[in-house]
Amino acid sequence: MSEVSNKEVLLRVENLCQYFKLDRTTVNKAVDNVSFDIHKGEVFGLVGESGCGKTTTGRSIIRLYDCTSGSVYFKGQRICAGIQSYKDAISAARKEKSSCKDPARLEELNKVIEDNRAAIKSAKADHKNVDRSLLNQIQMIFQDPIASLDPRMTVRDIIAEGLIIKGIKDKEYIDNKVYEMLETVGLVREHASRYPHEFSGGQRQRIGIARAIIMEPSLIIADEPISALDVSIRAQVMNLLNDLRESMGLTILFIAHDLSVVKYFSDRIGVMYYGKMVELAPSDELFRHPLHPYTRSLLSAIPQPDPNYEKNRKRIVYNPVADHDYRNSTPSFREVEPGHFVLCDDAEFEKYSKIVSQG
Amino acid sequence: MSNEREKKLQVKDLTISFRTINGKLQAVRDISFDLYKGETLAIVGESGSGKSATSKTILGISAANTIVESGEILYDGRDLLKISEDDYHKIRGDKISMVFQDPLSSLNPIMRIGNQITEAMLLKNKANRKESHKKLSATLAALDDAMKASGCDEDKDRFSTFKKIIGVQSKYEAPYSQAHSNAVAGLKAAEDMLLAIRKEAVANPVSEAKEVVDYFKASVDRFVVNDADTVKELYSSIMKAARSAAKTHNYDEMVPLLEKGCSLLKAAIEEEVPDFFALGCWTVLDGNVLGDEDATALNKKTAASLGSPFIIGFIADIKKALEYTSDKSVKDMKKALEVLAEAKRRLSSDMPDKADVDRIVKGVSDAVEKAIDPLETVKDSYAYTFRVSIDSAVKTYYDDIARNQAEEKRFLKQTARYEKLEAKGKAPEAKVAPLSLADLKLVQENLVKILSNMQQQFEKRVSDVSLFDFDKRSRSFMLWLRDTAMAEIRVVTKSMAKDRAIRVMEQVGITEARKRYRQYPFEFSGGMRQRIVIAISLTANPDILICDEPTTALDVTIQAQILELINKLKEERNLSVIFITHDLGVVANMADRIAVMYAGKIVEYGTADEIFYHPAHPYTWALLASIPDLDSKGNKLESIPGTPPNMIYPPKGDAFAARNKYAMEIDFEEQPPMFKITDTHYAATWLLHPNAPHVEMPEIVRDRIARMNGGAK
Repeated sequence: MSEVSNKEVLLRVENLCQYFKLDRTTVNKAVDNVSFDIHKGEVFGLVGESGCGKTTTGRSIIRLYDCTSGSVYFKGQRICAGIQSYKDAISAARKEKSSCKDPARLEELNKVIEDNRAAIKSAKADHKNVDRSLLNQIQMIFQDPIASLDPRMTVRDIIAEGLIIKGIKDKEYIDNKVYEMLETVGLVREHASRYPHEFSGGQRQRIGIARAIIMEPSLIIADEPISALDVSIRAQVMNLLNDLRESMGLTILFIAHDLSVVKYFSDRIGVMYYGKMVELAPSDELFRHPLHPYTRSLLSAIPQPDPNYEKNRKRIVYNPVADHDYRNSTPSFREVEPGHFVLCDDAEFEKYSKIVSQG
Repeated sequence: MSNEREKKLQVKDLTISFRTINGKLQAVRDISFDLYKGETLAIVGESGSGKSATSKTILGISAANTIVESGEILYDGRDLLKISEDDYHKIRGDKISMVFQDPLSSLNPIMRIGNQITEAMLLKNKANRKESHKKLSATLAALDDAMKASGCDEDKDRFSTFKKIIGVQSKYEAPYSQAHSNAVAGLKAAEDMLLAIRKEAVANPVSEAKEVVDYFKASVDRFVVNDADTVKELYSSIMKAARSAAKTHNYDEMVPLLEKGCSLLKAAIEEEVPDFFALGCWTVLDGNVLGDEDATALNKKTAASLGSPFIIGFIADIKKALEYTSDKSVKDMKKALEVLAEAKRRLSSDMPDKADVDRIVKGVSDAVEKAIDPLETVKDSYAYTFRVSIDSAVKTYYDDIARNQAEEKRFLKQTARYEKLEAKGKAPEAKVAPLSLADLKLVQENLVKILSNMQQQFEKRVSDVSLFDFDKRSRSFMLWLRDTAMAEIRVVTKSMAKDRAIRVMEQVGITEARKRYRQYPFEFSGGMRQRIVIAISLTANPDILICDEPTTALDVTIQAQILELINKLKEERNLSVIFITHDLGVVANMADRIAVMYAGKIVEYGTADEIFYHPAHPYTWALLASIPDLDSKGNKLESIPGTPPNMIYPPKGDAFAARNKYAMEIDFEEQPPMFKITDTHYAATWLLHPNAPHVEMPEIVRDRIARMNGGAK
């Protein structure tokens, strides 16, 4: 795990915010100031309960939503950028300017406004003129294999759609590619002419995977790919993803709510709670030293196939009001030990450091 | 299996098929299990293994294309597969209740939560009153006849006097119970408010205080909070104090007033419960008038009235009547037994023609119904449903004959067409759907089984007749009359239903139940919605709760909460739970016993410890191997190859053989029987046969079990 930090960063998410306006005054902060890196070749797990913003994060990265603020860099290039934070900075500076008398300060504020305007301009330009071929390298696998496949398209059409949009017209090439992908995911050629409803749940999810990997992506965002599947089929899909990861050198952002699956699958895990990333650590480390109380509550809720363990399992309830004392301080995302980040304030930081140093 | 525990539900040899356009799909094949009182039975299996088909059949809500081919589901001495829809109404929801998988689709989106919870209560009350009225008048008429026939004294006013007593009882009891429950709730609300004041966490003093004093007001009753004036005074002074506290944030004035209210309610709750029946006798028979004495004093006064000559005479007359009808019914039973034996003899060999069968069946039904004791208060016996069940069995038999003929015709026609095409040399694409004929032998056996069941019941009854204690029975008969008469006049008003609903909502962990009562389902999160579904199913105090994948649509933390809730309720109410899921990990915490189902059969059956620590069937191994646990990093999961078999064409041997890497030749030839491993642990696999080679379970499962056992020590 130690060499992970030296690895090339494939995707960098910086201060990503995704707000949804509910009405004129209320804003739902689905994702609030989330930052993380994904290294090349790793599986990054994102967990949290439903409604905590993990799917929104994935969708913002692939630009299904226009992010409110923050940036996403893929292979060093900015692929999406939001401007709300710059706008806020400008309006704050303007407000201060109206009551400010000090000429030096005024100069400073003018510069701030100027800078932010330039930033908005470049963000807008980056967002608009992003290299489409770069975006093709990020593909998504959706949660529900029934809802995500068009029932009126044959499997061939579904899998080939990405190639056609990309502009490939050579029919023979497309057909061969589709057959190759079907065989990669463990289906057979004959399946190409069928419709989605003729397949079982696990096979449908395989079609979804084939659709994603035909674009030869370097990053796959897997949004709860196994939550809607039966237990025995889950193992098939997980094994398939694992094989593909090795054979194609994929990097995967794995979104799920089931911690035991994420633990099995991921190298590093980020835990989200109500739009905020509360803890990020290598998966073994996270299970050895869960620091944030929410992570601990999440870990304590996992059922195990072991009656004796289950009889003694005590679920820890997370109550953000009782567990944190943030009246005098604002929490920030800090590194407690190399690679292990927690959302905490000063007092908690010391407490957590002590826990970690004690082992 | 421990015999001293009460069996709540028995499923015997149940076989269920679905009629589809492609042929008959065998969803459940010959499964049997028992459910004991207060235990959780988990049924685990892949989708399509027949778990939901089983549970829906138990509840009598299976789809229209379902054919229950054979089997019995015994609840309370009755076979649920044979009873009529009207009888099912009394069981479904009331005795057996169900929590569905998806809370979003099992709640009505345009009805407020409160209405959805109280709906069943109000409807049930209406139905119960009607039912009680019918039952009471029928029983009283029968009793009157029996009394006359057994030579009791003529007393025309007997029943009207009795009804008068009940009227007095109900007049005082209904307001008492409502006021009492309000007093309990009010005490809790007041204590909560005091706590909030102490913690300085009162958000809205006026509305919170209003809630408390509303309870105070509602608990005023002759026998609960007697002092209406004090409550009135308390009401206005608390509200006044709350209004001033809202401005000043000073609660000093409120605290003593609330404490006064608390002590008032506490005293009221702790007071003795008056005996309302005795009170009825006291006023009606002895002509006394109720003064303002408290419950303790009143109970002392009224106790003597229970021994008044009217009551003693009434019980004695009932005893005579009971003895008379019982004698008569035993005589009729002996006659009916002869008819039954004759009918059984004729129906168990070759079936006679239809007219004959109809005549035989009618004769048997008449004889059985004549043997029913009209004064039997517990009507849950075979005899009442005998006519319906035997009629339906006969009808099934003749329907099946007609269907078989049509099916054969179709098959011949299709085959002929197919052969014609083939003869022409066109390789036809069309397939001929295979012949699916109903097994007439089986249907006939069912029919005979109904007869022999009835025979057994009657024989037992006839031989038990000397054990009857008529003194005891006559007393309990009078109590039954009293309760039924009460049920006839007991009205559940909307406000009573609301009180009850709020209490159930609090029980399932919904906070601010009073506010939540008026919200719509979309205003709740997934976990809260599932709690409401559970609350609805609990309002009727069921014995058995069937949970059909209640947590599959929920995420891990919510899942843990719901499982804890179901466990808690099970303890509190001594419920029997059937928990259906596909996730073995979930049931380790819940289940006392586990049945693993595959392709419509139970393949392994045992206690939770046995299934998790000593699994014996390859399918159970595969299920265990396919779930990752927190330590199984890196090693490849064992997935089960292939898909479950198409149950329109069930495989010949073991259904799991094709996907089983431990399969032997015999697995493709013959279905394995249930091998007994311990007294509670059974598995259907040939690997347990003494001649089978020794096979180890997969490494990943073995490792995990070793690790778990290590951890347990």
